[in-house]
Amino acid sequence: MDLISGGLIADAQPLTIVVGSGGVGKTTLAAAMGVLAARSGRDTLVMTFDPSLRLKDALGVGEEAREREVKVSFQAPGSLYASLLDARITFDRLVERYAPDDASRRRILGNRFYQHLSGSLGGILEYMAVERLYEVAAEGRFRQVILDTPPTRQALDFLEAPARIVGFLDSGALRVALKGWFDEEGHLTMAARLGPLGRQAERFLDNVVGLDLLRDMAEFFQAFAPLFEGFRERAQAVEELLRSRRTRFIVVSGPGEERIPDTLFFSRRLEQAGYHLGPTIVNRVHPSFQVQGAPPAADPCRPTGWELLTWLGERDRRGLAALAALVSRRQPLIAVPLLPGEPTDLPSLEALGRLVEERLGEWSRRFAKGAEEEG
Amino acid sequence: MFKSTELYAFCCYSPIPCMDLLAQLSSRQLLVVTGKGGVGKTAVSAVLGRIFAARGKRVLVVEVDPRENLHQMLGMPPTGGDILPAGSRLWVQNLKPRQVLDSVVRERLKLELLVRRVLASPVYHHFVDGAPGLTELAILGHALRLVRGIDKSAPQLDLVILDAPATGHGVRLLASPRLVSEVIRHGAFAVMAGELAEMIADPARCGILAVTQAEEMPVQEVLEMRQALRSQVEKDPEALVVNGLYPPAPEPAGTGEDDELVSLWRRRRLLNERELERLGTEWLGPRLELPQLAMDRGPALTAALQTCLERAAEARAWT
Repeated sequence: MDLISGGLIADAQPLTIVVGSGGVGKTTLAAAMGVLAARSGRDTLVMTFDPSLRLKDALGVGEEAREREVKVSFQAPGSLYASLLDARITFDRLVERYAPDDASRRRILGNRFYQHLSGSLGGILEYMAVERLYEVAAEGRFRQVILDTPPTRQALDFLEAPARIVGFLDSGALRVALKGWFDEEGHLTMAARLGPLGRQAERFLDNVVGLDLLRDMAEFFQAFAPLFEGFRERAQAVEELLRSRRTRFIVVSGPGEERIPDTLFFSRRLEQAGYHLGPTIVNRVHPSFQVQGAPPAADPCRPTGWELLTWLGERDRRGLAALAALVSRRQPLIAVPLLPGEPTDLPSLEALGRLVEERLGEWSRRFAKGAEEEG
Repeated sequence: MFKSTELYAFCCYSPIPCMDLLAQLSSRQLLVVTGKGGVGKTAVSAVLGRIFAARGKRVLVVEVDPRENLHQMLGMPPTGGDILPAGSRLWVQNLKPRQVLDSVVRERLKLELLVRRVLASPVYHHFVDGAPGLTELAILGHALRLVRGIDKSAPQLDLVILDAPATGHGVRLLASPRLVSEVIRHGAFAVMAGELAEMIADPARCGILAVTQAEEMPVQEVLEMRQALRSQVEKDPEALVVNGLYPPAPEPAGTGEDDELVSLWRRRRLLNERELERLGTEWLGPRLELPQLAMDRGPALTAALQTCLERAAEARAWT
């Protein structure tokens, strides 16, 4: 298995997608992996969404990283670049690429429906993220690309979003339905061929959503029509890249028992759908403490630190044990301890990367030993 | 007439005790609880529901998340989308936005045959997925109908607490009436969007409560969220709940070294204090603090947090 020999940074898998629920520390781990990869001599890109201000400072990237990859000032054998993902800019870029001529490009970019759509369609950020990953992978400038994913509450949204967006843009149904309704000037024509049902549906639509929106949508879909083919091919290629052996998914989970169902559900879905799973990282695990004779708090709203940390350590231990019992023995599962503070500069990011790598090494040795004893 | 934020600026920095913050929040028709995923929005929503119901309000707590959590906090079975009683004057619901949109179609289009054809049509599905802000509008519209008592099958309510989806930290939800008004200029959704925009703008009817934790990322994000609310909704959160605080740590021992536990405790608390200090300079509105408790998620934790929140509000009022 590549994974076991490969360590945290694996040359056989140049693309890493870090997934997990919101607030579990995905961005920091993605940055830590990037620093580690550059340190080991690989030219690396970290693509992220909304890093905290201090992490942005640590990587030295500002708003200009929305437009292009920005070099992080970091003395290492490999170079480190970072970029911030922006759905609107990526979508605009796609339109520019596939528009057959200037006029159609302008028609789409100036369409009112497109302007709202490109910022607010559910899943668009996720789609644009993998789209950008594909672009970067095709350019071949980097030996390692690490993609931090948007903070969806339901990590599964991330995988379903591309299909939804392509389905929507590729929607023959909408194109056909809206086509007969408006003439070249955008005036409503009677949808005679739909018969009485069509007229009634039309009245209903005007009554509910108003025809302005429909006109904008019809215009958008007509303008977008010449782009569909390119878009569909592109989406297929993106999907293939995500399923290929070159791409692995690292699932990050918060500690504690209530996080386990999410983590497990997501890893299983990824595997069943044919994606390649990298290590699963349970982040910010409280250490276990044995405290004897600490008096319980007099005030329930003020637990003592002894009480609280003992309980948190126990909660996380239970959570990890439950998760370990449920995943395959071949699935690397590593616990990263809660750090005294979030890493917010390059040395502390590197230290975090090394810690994760060390834990993965320990897991591999345990696994090898277990396999040997059985064999 | 004071805007609510001005009123606070007035009372909180004067020797006159603050008006009871919880009473003020409970007088709204819609209270939207916003914040980053994982900071405890759902727990705070459940706690507020219990507090307001105990004060005599008829309250519904609405969760918009396909993975239900709210019922656990109140010790109930999953709601499966229905409005279920969760105590005296308290109800909960896990809302599927699609249900609401489908019911709009049903109302407007009275012919059952047509309803079925519309709901089954791919055009409708793509339209609902693609029309910007429509899903969010449906969520808000649902709340508005309930407090107005339009839906006769639902209980009579004074207040809906909306546990906002984590996406876009709830800003997208609150901004949706404006967005829809720009895209859809007439028809039923346009009217609904206009009414909702008016309700959201009205400080007496709609309040926003932000939830965060005293750590770097969540604090950064809650400040950015406020900025986004100001520009997209022209409204500030009425109050901030800082959740999950570590207890104050003992002073470092003069001689020996701390054990591992105390040292972790102290460093985590220090992180909290640093962020509280930052909030102190950057968030001048009312703030309530909630401790991290050594209890699993469930009704006992919710009850304990209720005590702590009520106490925090009371302490605020007299300091």
